[in-house]
Amino acid sequence: MAELRKRGLVTAVICSGPFLKLGRAQARVFGVPDMPLIVIPHPLGGLALDDVRGRADVAIPKVIDLFKAHLP
Amino acid sequence: MTGLSQLLKAPGASVETADDFEAINALCRERGWSDGLPVVPPTAERVERMLAYCDRPWDETVAVIPPRYGAATPLLLAANAVMAGCRPEYFPLFVLAIEAMCEEPFNLYGIQATTHLCAPLVIVNGPVARELEINSGHNAFGPGRQSNATLGRAVRLALVNIGGAIPALGDMSTFGSPAKYTYCVAENEAASPWPPLHVERGFDAGASTVTVVGAECPHNINDHESLTAEGILTTIAGTVAITGANDLFYKAEPLVIMSPEHAATVAEGGYSKADAKRFLYEHARLPLGKFSKENIERRLRIKYPERFAKAGMDAPVPMVQDADDFMIVVIGGAGKHSAFIPTFGATHAVTRALKLHDGQLAPSVEAFRRT
Repeated sequence: MAELRKRGLVTAVICSGPFLKLGRAQARVFGVPDMPLIVIPHPLGGLALDDVRGRADVAIPKVIDLFKAHLP
Repeated sequence: MTGLSQLLKAPGASVETADDFEAINALCRERGWSDGLPVVPPTAERVERMLAYCDRPWDETVAVIPPRYGAATPLLLAANAVMAGCRPEYFPLFVLAIEAMCEEPFNLYGIQATTHLCAPLVIVNGPVARELEINSGHNAFGPGRQSNATLGRAVRLALVNIGGAIPALGDMSTFGSPAKYTYCVAENEAASPWPPLHVERGFDAGASTVTVVGAECPHNINDHESLTAEGILTTIAGTVAITGANDLFYKAEPLVIMSPEHAATVAEGGYSKADAKRFLYEHARLPLGKFSKENIERRLRIKYPERFAKAGMDAPVPMVQDADDFMIVVIGGAGKHSAFIPTFGATHAVTRALKLHDGQLAPSVEAFRRT
């Protein structure tokens, strides 16, 4: 993901709350400290499909906003 | 070779504090340079004594430790070895263990950052295990021997201090594990009826090796009654067959530790190590119906469609993909026990031989000594 960002693509990492600090630290380590981190409610494992859709409902508008911000 | 005083002039290479045990430990705790236990102050003098057993440049990167991807140089590793309480002659083996666990197949990033509770287990084989008196007998996984205790602790300190495996930041383990404090043993080669682990993995018997495994803690297997190979192996297979192992979902290499007495019974029954693995592969199985409905539908049927897509509830689920995936090592003292060590799953054990900087096998740690 860091490599894609360095190539100029629109990128983001989707993670749940407890992994936010790890995500930020890894973004710094890989030289992309400005990598957007889209936070969804924890957990991601052990969810019924409706709850997975709920997580997607949280993430998708943020992903769309990210794309809109990069429109020419 | 650049001298230590020169290397310590680099920005951030050293800190000055009061020459006081409590003050130095307070500083280490504040900076997060600790496993929580007091450390031996890594003074320049102690670090230099550790580096006496290093035959390569002290500022050369020997490995890069995730998730911080910190460069592990002999200088930094020596500081961690001092902090852990290592004797200088342990240093070559410690460096080798770090190099082995930073190889790609081991997946140290995953092992460091996962929610699983694994820790790198260091298994030592060959003459250096005996030279350093690494415990392979009674209480080998437990306390009592300086080499086991401090080599394993040095690994953990390097993983934290260089690699950034800081709880809830770079180490996301849900529980952690006592094995994360220290986890280093030797195989009891003298008491094993079979070729030792390093020979099985393609090394000369005279080589000294470390094998690193992304491992859980040992789980005991009690069998005081079985008189035959099949009896012992049936008890082991029954303990190995569990529904909640990471190993189920990967090309994993779970570890079976046999005590010398159990191994002798199995070998006297005519079983080679390969035969024992085959027995475990065939008998350590659970019927599909023992798994939860969600694990069947969402994981097993999807991960292994050729085997389980349409399988009924009686279909046997093996614990590994192939018989050879089991690792068997003989460790321990007297007693009718074996142990099972599941792994992180998404990892492969790595074995490396102890070599001098010129590539020659090291017959003794004394071959590294420079002063």
